[in-house]
Amino acid sequence: MGLNRFSRFLAFATYLLIIAGGLVTSTGSGLSVPDWPLSYGSFFPPMVGGIRFEHSHRLIAGSVGLLTLVLMVAILRAEKRVWLKKLGMLTFGAVILQAVLGGITVIYLLPTFVSVFHACLAQTFFCLIISIALFTSPLWTKAEPVQFPKSFWIHRILFVTTALIYLQLILGAVVRHTAGNGIVYHALMAFLVLTGIFLSTYSVMCLPAGNELQRPAIFLGLLAVAQLFLGVGSWMTRIMMGESARQGVSAVLFATAHQATGALILASCVYLTLLSLRLFIQPESGHVSIVSGGADRI
Amino acid sequence: MKKNKVSMMITVLILIFQVALIPSAQAAAITGKIAFEGTAPASPPMAMDADPNCQMMHPDGVSADDVIVNPNGTLKNVFVYVKEGLGDQTFEAPKEPVAFNQQGCQYHPKVFGIQVGQPLEILNSDNTLHNVHAVPTKSTQFNLGMPIQGMKLKKTFTAPEVMVKIKCDVHPWMAAYAGVLKHPFFGVSGDEGTFEIKNLVPGQYVIEAWHEKYGTQTFSVTISSADETKDIAFTFKAS
Repeated sequence: MGLNRFSRFLAFATYLLIIAGGLVTSTGSGLSVPDWPLSYGSFFPPMVGGIRFEHSHRLIAGSVGLLTLVLMVAILRAEKRVWLKKLGMLTFGAVILQAVLGGITVIYLLPTFVSVFHACLAQTFFCLIISIALFTSPLWTKAEPVQFPKSFWIHRILFVTTALIYLQLILGAVVRHTAGNGIVYHALMAFLVLTGIFLSTYSVMCLPAGNELQRPAIFLGLLAVAQLFLGVGSWMTRIMMGESARQGVSAVLFATAHQATGALILASCVYLTLLSLRLFIQPESGHVSIVSGGADRI
Repeated sequence: MKKNKVSMMITVLILIFQVALIPSAQAAAITGKIAFEGTAPASPPMAMDADPNCQMMHPDGVSADDVIVNPNGTLKNVFVYVKEGLGDQTFEAPKEPVAFNQQGCQYHPKVFGIQVGQPLEILNSDNTLHNVHAVPTKSTQFNLGMPIQGMKLKKTFTAPEVMVKIKCDVHPWMAAYAGVLKHPFFGVSGDEGTFEIKNLVPGQYVIEAWHEKYGTQTFSVTISSADETKDIAFTFKAS
């Protein structure tokens, strides 16, 4: 239970880190501190101008890195599930790699590939933490899977939607780090992703009433609607209105909110996919009766 | 022996002739004015509240500096240079550096010319930290931290490029532009909106004028004699 609470807290801290990282990109502050890992040769430079965003991002990132180390040690000590121990180590490896990528972006002056990789790994790391929080929750450990005839399709719809969202995230990162390149593909992809999300929400609603998937599925659908408006807002303030508007407060807020909501959408879909796999299984014979059992397998 | 003496005298005469000829051969110049047509855009005050040190240096505020229309109706900070007409001539980069100062959380000068290989001496006169981030596409980018007042650094550009943006990521309103050229034939319009390109030889030239907001304009000009001063004019219109 302590592990679950700690991982939930870490998920919250990671989300703050994603917002802080988004603000760095949106305000163009990524290179306001030209050295790394120190900042102007010190641990705490004057917090003025762009340094406020960049150095805050580094401080939060450092804290998340330490918390991830603590989480990994706690998992290694307290958990019996070997695959979860491996996941804990993978997550710590991801945060170390993320820190190194952050350093490379500063030292090599924001090379596009590294910046995009850094952005995508941030959200992947967030999903890993969300997954650990789920795997350590009673919802996962005490679950009793039920057989449901359309489980096979629901799993696949959720999985494909997650993959589409991740692809959209990569496109979004490219748009963001190349001053608008690939915006057409990002916009077209948005329709595919929206279709996937609404189909996912609908399919979860087809599951037996009162299951643990329905609330997050509704949340996911609402996030998708909000994200559509935030995406249009970002496009208007950052691309359509030109360079003069790009540094404005509304442009910064729209772009950061769009990115942060994207992270929530991805994490929600990962959560739904994993939980659906845990809670609903396809009956082997294909008959429609709902049968409980199988919790001891995981 | 006699033949050698004659040969030496001829060589000396040629040298004297060349020395005498060179200054007059490069005395031609192109001068001009950058006119501005239309209503000058409003210059909103720059929000420097992101850094209290900058704000304190301008208690009465400071206007945006991307478009400065002089009282005589001319445009300031237009970079004018010889774009074509120099052929394969090469010009040695001067040893003396171009001074580039960060003062009052603004760049001085905002627009300047520099030769490839000529040192750029960057000074931080402010009691706050700056980073100097040059973003050329043909030379190597650099991003230098200058946290100490009075700190000086030297950098050079390795390839010609018009223009190279220099910015401070700490203070996003700070931007300067360097015209990096292989030759010394350039000028920047100042408070009177005038410019002068000196020491040209007779020939046909394409002159380009560049402004941060209003883009570029070109003008073809022919200099027929070594002592000619050609006067040209550019007009930028309010958009």
